[in-house]
Amino acid sequence: MPELLEVRDVVAGYGRGPAILTGTSLTVRPGQVQCIIGPNGAGKSTLLKAISGLLPVRSGEIRFEGERIDGMRPDQILRKGICFVPQERALFPRMSVRENLRMGGYVIDDKKVLESRIEEVLQQFPILRERAHQRAGTMSGGQQQMLAMARTLIVKPKIVMLDEPSLGLAPKIVQQMFEIMHMLKDRGMTVILVEQNAIMGLNNSTWGAVLDLGKTLFEGPAPEVLADPRIKELYLGKAKAAA
Amino acid sequence: MSNVIQIVILGLALGGVYALMASGLTLIFGVMRIVNLAHPVLIIAGAFVTFWLFRLYGVDPILAMPVAAIALFCIGVILYKLIFEKEAASAKYSEMTVLLTFAVAMIFDGLLGWLFTNTQRVTTPSYATDAIFIGDIFIPTGQLYAGIASLVVIGLLLLFLQYTRFGYAIRATTQNRAAAQLMGVNVGLVSLITFGIGIGLAGAAGSLVSFIFSFFPAKHWEWIAILMSLVVLGGMGKLGGVIAGSLILSVIAAFVGAYIGSTWSTMTFFLALFVILLVRPQGLFGDKIEEA
Amino acid sequence: MAVQQLDVDNVIEARREYNAGLASLDKGKRVWQFPVLLLLVLALFPLVQVMDGYNYVLHLMLYTFMYVAMASSWNILGGYTGYISLGHNVFFCIGGYFSGMILAYFGVSTLITAPLAGLAAAAVGFVIGSVTLKMRGPTFIISSIALLMVARILFDNWHFVGGSNGITLPQLELDAQWMKIPYYYAFLVIAALTVWTSYKIKHSKFGLGLRAISQDEVKAESAGINTRLYKVSAFAISAFFVGMAGAVWGEYLTYIRPNIFLIILVAANLVLMCILGGKGTVAGPIVGAILLIAFNELSVVYLGSSELNILGTGVVMLLALMFFPTGIIGTLAAKKKLPRFLDWD
Repeated sequence: MPELLEVRDVVAGYGRGPAILTGTSLTVRPGQVQCIIGPNGAGKSTLLKAISGLLPVRSGEIRFEGERIDGMRPDQILRKGICFVPQERALFPRMSVRENLRMGGYVIDDKKVLESRIEEVLQQFPILRERAHQRAGTMSGGQQQMLAMARTLIVKPKIVMLDEPSLGLAPKIVQQMFEIMHMLKDRGMTVILVEQNAIMGLNNSTWGAVLDLGKTLFEGPAPEVLADPRIKELYLGKAKAAA
Repeated sequence: MSNVIQIVILGLALGGVYALMASGLTLIFGVMRIVNLAHPVLIIAGAFVTFWLFRLYGVDPILAMPVAAIALFCIGVILYKLIFEKEAASAKYSEMTVLLTFAVAMIFDGLLGWLFTNTQRVTTPSYATDAIFIGDIFIPTGQLYAGIASLVVIGLLLLFLQYTRFGYAIRATTQNRAAAQLMGVNVGLVSLITFGIGIGLAGAAGSLVSFIFSFFPAKHWEWIAILMSLVVLGGMGKLGGVIAGSLILSVIAAFVGAYIGSTWSTMTFFLALFVILLVRPQGLFGDKIEEA
Repeated sequence: MAVQQLDVDNVIEARREYNAGLASLDKGKRVWQFPVLLLLVLALFPLVQVMDGYNYVLHLMLYTFMYVAMASSWNILGGYTGYISLGHNVFFCIGGYFSGMILAYFGVSTLITAPLAGLAAAAVGFVIGSVTLKMRGPTFIISSIALLMVARILFDNWHFVGGSNGITLPQLELDAQWMKIPYYYAFLVIAALTVWTSYKIKHSKFGLGLRAISQDEVKAESAGINTRLYKVSAFAISAFFVGMAGAVWGEYLTYIRPNIFLIILVAANLVLMCILGGKGTVAGPIVGAILLIAFNELSVVYLGSSELNILGTGVVMLLALMFFPTGIIGTLAAKKKLPRFLDWD
């Protein structure tokens, strides 16, 4: 039986520049919360962009439920069931919260289904319901992140990828983010998480992977990764200093 | 007083035509961040299409608008596919696209000049030389009809953008291209079609231009600066802005032309551009951009 | 899940190698003999005029020198700093009129006043740049076109300088046989100066800052570079040489008129020369100027009418942009096939 998502020896880079990913491999199983950690410039965001179709893959394969998706356009990959929330959150600043949610359901053809899902989401997130008509650009960082993550519930993807959701957020808000992430998981989504704050990321995940020098150097259950002394020295030491 | 009203009406009518001319330009910029220096020469291409339809088959210029629009839409799509599509991922995108459109402008300039020579042309439907009188206000029907036709087309464009699914996709892509892509919009297709629509609008504007101004291939250089100024003034990519800006400035320019001299009325647009750059660089309705 | 080989030392070592690999390669010694030799040859060339009959060649050559100077000058703003000016011939005009008017009223040859004309153009450039360089790329380009139009309208209507009819300038008292020679040397000197300045800038801290700005202005700013000052200075410097060229050109033509300086085809030529040759390189504008002028001459001979000329120029530009965006020098350099004598960077 094919894995949910399989990344095999992917090489990718920006424009004609050097390869950032130099043969990365990763396997994602359903129900996991997979946390990818690693130093800056290692290619964590690049990997997510390659999976989502935003970045072309120079060599290697990406398979989703057995089907090759490398080379597909981002909108096609979304329809397959992979949703990506980038670092910049991809909100429409001049649209209201409700319009952003509606835009999130662009690929849903049935208007009724779309409207009912928007209502569901607004119900679950009272803060968003309050601001349903507020322009997304005027909300705080934490509210924007909430909107970006809540928006994935409209489309109900199989995999949701989050690129550094805690970036720029106060610690209390960060905790809320992780709660939302757990909610996504409880709704049946598999989560791939890129986190600069390695300790917090791994603490909230079931599986961990270390990406460095453009390759996956280490994979394992999150607690194991956290506890491994080599990982501690190479990657968590830095996180400790930053945290 | 009637003199003032006359100037205002003429200014608005001309402003409407400028708005139509600039609308395609701002649309293309909004979706694809392309500064299309070839826009005016394609307007002239539309004028030529209209001119020959008029000369050879007696087709009324205003009725020829859909034909010119469709013809130029096709040209636009072909140009985008051949030239601009592959630049979409390039690092020096904005630089490259400007230079590319500059080259395209020269190509069409030379092509039209070679095919049709640089003699001044104008279509002469009866209303181009007529006028109506409301009280003692004298309004040339040519400008009036052109102004009305422009506003009708712009109105249709606005309806399209607001109420159709594709228009929705265009607006989303204009606001945040990457986000639109992640929401499932095929931004490549949106860019292609929008470019076609933008050039199609140029074609339609060309039909109106054919009887309001006398035109010849090299005239596009004069319009580049005016249309560009209008786009910057309104806020790059903002359709509403360019419409408002065109109307307001054209009225001001009409007054300048009437009271100071016609050579200076074109100056109005450029002076306004520099003033806006000094005072409010993002244009009247633009989003605040980070300083370059 | 299998735990891969993870040796701490290995990783640190690998990381260091990886970062070192990203550092750029060092260039070899630069070849200065070729440019100096070239200059010598060009300086001695007018001696052929002793035999007369080379007036046309001299004209073509000084015309080329002028464009070499202007294109190299434009390159400082367009190639090094990344700000494309499509109205740069405004400075051509300012220089031309400044010296032209002095010549007309005081009889002082432009060959002497050219540097002043250059300074005048640079001063105007500094002021204008302070306003228009606040904007990002697309808006800057538009403002440069608008500037050209404004200048055109102003000069066409300014009666003091003769409006659209311009002013005729007195000629140098020389035989037809020697007529062109002073201008030949003037343009050669200006061209040499411009290229030398361009080279110096490229290898200075200033040039490095400009390059940073062209790649990512925000990052350059946060790295501590005074981007505003750098950009405006680049603009002024690039206006200086164009102004000088304009001054001499006016006297050479013996008349100054708006429509010889302020037509957009001149601006297009500057851009195209740099693109053909290689934007951002020292030798690029030179190669581009020579090629484009040769192409123009040939197409006038074979294609005649100016519309086809415009069409041809547009096609060349389009093809160059689509297939050789880094120009001849750039493409050769990328493929490591650049002959040493052309590598002036």
